[in-house]
Amino acid sequence: MSQNCIQVKGLTKAYSDITAVNNISFEVRTGEILGILGPNGSGKTTTLKSILGLIEFDKGSIDVNGLSIRKNRNEILKNVGAILEGARNIYWHLTPMENLTYFAGIRGIPRKRIADRAKYLLESLELTDVANKEIRQFSAGMKQKCALACAFIHDPAILLLDEPTLGLDVEITRTIMDWLVEVAKKEGKTILITSHNMDFIETICKRILIIRKGEIISHETVESLKDKFARKHFLIDLQNKPHEALIESVSALGSTSTSGNSIRVELETLDHLLPLLQALDESGIKMLNFKSVENDLEDIFLEVIREETE
Amino acid sequence: MKTLNLFGAESKMMYWSLRRYMFNTVAMVAVLFLIFMGMFWGVKTIGGSGVTGDSLDSMLVGYILWVSAMLALGNTGGEILSESQRGTLEQLYLSPLGAHRIFFFRAIVNILFNFIVMTIMLYLSMAATGRWMTINLLYLYGMVFLSTLSLVGISFMMGGLGLIHKKISSVNGILSFGLIGLMLLPTYPMTPYAFLPFIAGAAAVRNSIVHGASFPGWWYLFIAANSIFYMALGLAVFKKMEKKAKRLNKMNQY
Repeated sequence: MSQNCIQVKGLTKAYSDITAVNNISFEVRTGEILGILGPNGSGKTTTLKSILGLIEFDKGSIDVNGLSIRKNRNEILKNVGAILEGARNIYWHLTPMENLTYFAGIRGIPRKRIADRAKYLLESLELTDVANKEIRQFSAGMKQKCALACAFIHDPAILLLDEPTLGLDVEITRTIMDWLVEVAKKEGKTILITSHNMDFIETICKRILIIRKGEIISHETVESLKDKFARKHFLIDLQNKPHEALIESVSALGSTSTSGNSIRVELETLDHLLPLLQALDESGIKMLNFKSVENDLEDIFLEVIREETE
Repeated sequence: MKTLNLFGAESKMMYWSLRRYMFNTVAMVAVLFLIFMGMFWGVKTIGGSGVTGDSLDSMLVGYILWVSAMLALGNTGGEILSESQRGTLEQLYLSPLGAHRIFFFRAIVNILFNFIVMTIMLYLSMAATGRWMTINLLYLYGMVFLSTLSLVGISFMMGGLGLIHKKISSVNGILSFGLIGLMLLPTYPMTPYAFLPFIAGAAAVRNSIVHGASFPGWWYLFIAANSIFYMALGLAVFKKMEKKAKRLNKMNQY
C-alpha cells in the first residue's frame, strides 16, 4: 500500500492567460482510491488528462509506476484505463460486446484472451442480457456502465475516472459505486477519481485532494478532514412552525436555519446545549425529535473552499 | 502481432458499422452497381460502333483510380472529425499502440474493402451485360494500393489539421478536385509531376492496363519510394499537429 503508483510533481499547465493547474504535487499509492474534489474549472480534468498524456503540460513531472508519461506513454497506457468527462467514451451504434471486442483489439489484446474478461464484466455490471443490443437505445446509466466495462476490459491496474456518475440518478450511482469498491478491493486497482457527488467520493475514497483555481488547498484523509472540520449540528423537529422568539433565542447560541417545522443549529460551543434545550422548552412548542448531525463531506468541502476564499 | 489485432479490430468495426447502417450500405452498393452498369451500357449506347474495348477499360480503370484516391484522401481527416463528434477520439488516444496506427489501419481496411466491392460490382456488371473484359485485377489493385498510400499520407496531414481546426472539408474538396486534373499530367519518363503524390502510380496503371505499356523495374521502385515519402511526411506532420493539439487541449473539442 505504501508504494507510489502515480507521482505528480510541480504540475503546471496554462492556456494563454489562464493557469489551469499551478505547481501541484501529489501521489496516489498502489491499491488506493484517491478522490479529487473541486469546483468547475478548478483544474481536475486538466490534471487527469495530463496524467493520461492527453494534455501536454508546461512544467513538472508525472511518473506512473516509476515511468515518465513524457517518455514512456505507450508503456504506461498498457496498464491504464479511463473514463473521460463530457465524452461518450464508447460507440453508441455498436453493442456492448462489440465495443468490448473493439477496445480490446485496439489495445493489442486478442479476442480469445478477452472472452472471459468480457463475460465477467458484462455479468458483474448486469449487462449480459443486453450484450448484443445497440447501445444507442440504452439509458444514461447503462451507457455509463458499458463505458466502465470498456475502461476495464484490458484489466488495467490503474483507472482514471473523470466524473463517472455525472448526470446519473441515485440508484445507478449507488450501483456503480458498489461495483467500483468491489472491483477495486478484489483486483487491487489504483483509482484516481473526480466527482461532484460528495456521497460517492466519501464512500469510496480514503484520501481526498481538494483543488481550487488550479492549486491544492487540502490533501488529507476523509477522517482527518472530518476531525478538522468537526462541528456539532443539531436537527430539531417540532410539532409546529418555530415562532420568531424561538428563532431569535436559538440564533443567539449559534448559526441557525429553519425549514418547515425544523430547526438546524450549529452551536458555537457545546456549553450552549443546555440553553438551547431551555429555549425549546420555554417556546411552548412540542419537540418531536432532537438529533445531533455531523458535518458531511459536502459541508466540509464548502467550508474548505470558503476558508480559502476568505 | 499486435498490429494484426489492430487490423482485425478495424475490419470488425467496418463490418459492424456496415451491418448496423444496412440501408446506407445497400444504397451504396446499389449506386455503385448503377454506375458500373451505366459505364458498360452507356459507353456503347453513346459512343455507338466507334467505341472500342479500350474506351471501356480506360473508363473503368479511371473510375477505380478516382474512387480509391478520393477514399484515401478523405479518410483520416474524416475519421478524426467523426470520432471528435462521437466523443470517442480521446479513447483512441489511450491505445498503447498509438492513434496514428489505428487511423492507418482504418485507411487500409477502407481501401481493401473498396477493392472487394469494386470487384463484385465489376463481375456483376459483366454478367448482366454479357460483356466480359480481361483486366489483370491483381496488378490493378496492387498498383492502386501502392500509389494510394501516398494519398493516405496526405490524408494524415489533413487529419493533423483536423485535430486543430476540426472542420477541414473545404480543403479536402479542393484537393479532391485538384487531383482529377493532376491525374492527366504526364509523368514518364521522369517529369517533375512524377514527384507529386499518386500521379506517377495512377499514370502507370492506366497506361499499362489500357494501352498495354510496360515500365522498367526502377519506375515501380520510384512509385513505391514516392508513396513511402508522402506517408512518412504525412505521419510526421500528423505527429506534430497531435503535439500541438495536446498543448492546446483541443483533443476533445469539436
